[in-house]
Amino acid sequence: MLINKLFTAAMAACLLIGFSSCEKDEMANPSIASIAVTNSDFSLLEGAAVQGGVAVTLSNPNPNDLSGSFAVFAPNNAAFGRLGFTTEADFGVLDPNFLTNALLYHVSDGDFTGSSIMEGMVSGSLLGSNRRFISRDGARYINGSRILATDVQAENGTVHVIDKLLLATGVDIVQSAIALANSQVFRTPELSFLVEAVVYAELVDALSASDGSASFTVFAPSDAAFRQLGQDLGVSLEQPEDIRKLPKETVTAVLLNHVIADGGQFTPEMSEGTVSPLGGNPLSIGAFNNGVLTVQGNGNSQTANMLIPDVQTTNGVVHLIDRVLLP
Amino acid sequence: MLLAFLLWSAAASAQSLLGGFMNGKGKGSVALSYTAESYDNVFLVPNDAEGVPVFNEVEVNSVSLFGTYGISDRLDIVGALPYISATGNASQGVLDELGFENERSGIQDLSVFVRYNPLSLDIGEHSLNFMLGGGLSTPLGAYEVDEGLQSILAIGNRATSLNGLAMAQFRTASGLFLTTQAGYSLRNGEVPNAVLGEIKAGYAGAHFYVDAWYAGQISTSGVNILGEGFTGFFPATDVSFSRAGITLFAPLGGGFGLSASASRYLDGRNVGESTGFSGAVTYSF
Repeated sequence: MLINKLFTAAMAACLLIGFSSCEKDEMANPSIASIAVTNSDFSLLEGAAVQGGVAVTLSNPNPNDLSGSFAVFAPNNAAFGRLGFTTEADFGVLDPNFLTNALLYHVSDGDFTGSSIMEGMVSGSLLGSNRRFISRDGARYINGSRILATDVQAENGTVHVIDKLLLATGVDIVQSAIALANSQVFRTPELSFLVEAVVYAELVDALSASDGSASFTVFAPSDAAFRQLGQDLGVSLEQPEDIRKLPKETVTAVLLNHVIADGGQFTPEMSEGTVSPLGGNPLSIGAFNNGVLTVQGNGNSQTANMLIPDVQTTNGVVHLIDRVLLP
Repeated sequence: MLLAFLLWSAAASAQSLLGGFMNGKGKGSVALSYTAESYDNVFLVPNDAEGVPVFNEVEVNSVSLFGTYGISDRLDIVGALPYISATGNASQGVLDELGFENERSGIQDLSVFVRYNPLSLDIGEHSLNFMLGGGLSTPLGAYEVDEGLQSILAIGNRATSLNGLAMAQFRTASGLFLTTQAGYSLRNGEVPNAVLGEIKAGYAGAHFYVDAWYAGQISTSGVNILGEGFTGFFPATDVSFSRAGITLFAPLGGGFGLSASASRYLDGRNVGESTGFSGAVTYSF
C-alpha cells in the first residue's frame, strides 16, 4: 500500500519534471500565414490576409498542388505604404472583394523557387491573371514589383518578398476604369472623369479587349487630376459629366495622348526619354527611380507622378497618374 | 483561514483548483478574487508573434467566486465560478472591416472537485500526505468560441472536462512545505485532452503564508494556430504551456484574510504570453 502511494508520488514528480523538458515535434518551418503574422515587416500583409479572408487558406497545405505548396510574392510594409496603407484600418478604403482578389494575385500553386525566375517568364496566379518577370539593372521584378528576397521557406510553400503590391483587374482597360468609377476597387469612386471622357470621345471600343486587339500602356489621370485641369483651363470640371463642356475633338486628342500602343509596359520596362502616344506629341518619360517614372506631355509645364503604377489588365498596363497629359 | 487562502490561490491563478492542504471536517471557506492579466505577444509554433493578430493586445479581467468545505477530515469539496472579460485593442477601422468587437465577457465554466486524503505519514516531526482529486468543469455561461478570429477574445473553450489528479505534500514542523501534483483532463468536443502538473513550495505559518509555484499543461493533440489543420476554430488548438507564480497571504482576523499574487507564462504553444496579478478576500469558518 505504502509502496503504491510512493510510486504514485514518484510518477507525479516525473510528470512535473517532464514539463520543463517536454519538447514536441516542431514543424521545421512556419506556415506562410504564420510568417506573415510573426514577421513585423509583414504586419500589413497580415492585416490584409485577415481582412481578405485568406489567412486560414495560407495556414494549410494547398489542396490544388501535389506537394501542397503555394508560392507567395509577399509585399512588405513599405510596399503597402506606397499606396497609403500604413495601418490595418486603412484597408477600409478598399472594396472587400477587390482586397481578396488582389491578395490572390500574389499567390500561385506549387513551389516556385527564386532560381526558377527568369526574364520574360510568365507565371499564373490564383486570381487567374498572369504575372511576368522582368530583369533590369541586375534586379529582378515581377510585373512592376522588385523582388527583394527569395526563397523564404514555409511549411506550405515559398515566400518571396516584393517592394510593391501586385495589382490586376482581370478585365480590360475600359472595364478596369469603370470598376474604379463604380467603387468596385476603392469604396469611393476614382477615374470617373476618365470613364466619362472615354465614353464621350467614343474610345470605348478602341480600348476594349477583343480578338486580336492591341495592348497598351495607359496613363490614367485621377479624378483630382481632371479637377486640377479644370482649374488650369478656367473651365469648371466638378462632375464627370462636366467633361462634355469641352469639345469632343479636344477630349479625344487629350485621351489619345495617354495611350501608347506598345503592348503594355510595366515601370521596369520603361526608359527615360520620349514615347509616342496614339495622338499628339511625344511624351517625356523621366528616370526610373524607386519603381516609378514621371511623365510629361508636350503641353504640360509640370511632370505627372504615378499614384498607382503597374496595374495589369487584360489588354495592357495602366498607371494611375496625378496630372492630365496635354498634347 | 489559511485553508481558504490556499483554495483561492489555486483557481485564481489558473493553477490547479486543488491545493495540498485539507480543510478538516466541517471547516471551509469562501473567497472572492479579482485577476488582471494582459499580453501583447503570443506563443505560436514555431515562432512567437509580437502583437496579437487583429487585437494587438489583450487584457483579461476576471472576478471569481470560490468555496470549499470539509465533508470529513479526509474528504473536501471545492467549487469555483469565474466571470471573465477579455478586451482587445483593435482599431475601430479594423473592427468595422471585420464586423468584430473589442470585448467578449460573461460567466465562464463551473468547476466542482473533490479531494480525498487516503494516507498521511508522519516522518519524525514532519508529515507526508497523499491525496487524490477529481472533478468536472462545464460551461455555465453562453459564451461563443466559434466566431473565427473574433474568438481570439473567447473567454473559454466551451469544453466539459473530467479531471483526475494525484498529489503529494511534504510538510515540515516549521511550516515549510512542498506539494506536487499531476493529472489528466479529459475534454469533450474538439478540445484536446491534456496532462496537467504543478509543483509548489512555500511556508505556511500562523501569521503569513508565501509560496512559489510552477505549473503546466500539455495538450495531447490539437492543431497549431496558423498551422496545418487550422480552420479558425480556436478550441481545437494544442494549448500547452508552463507558467510560474508567487503568492502572499495574511490573515486580517475574524476569519478574514487578504492575499496577492503574480504569475507569468514562461513558454507555450498557441497561448498568450500573459502576465497577471490577483488580489482576493477570503473568509474561513
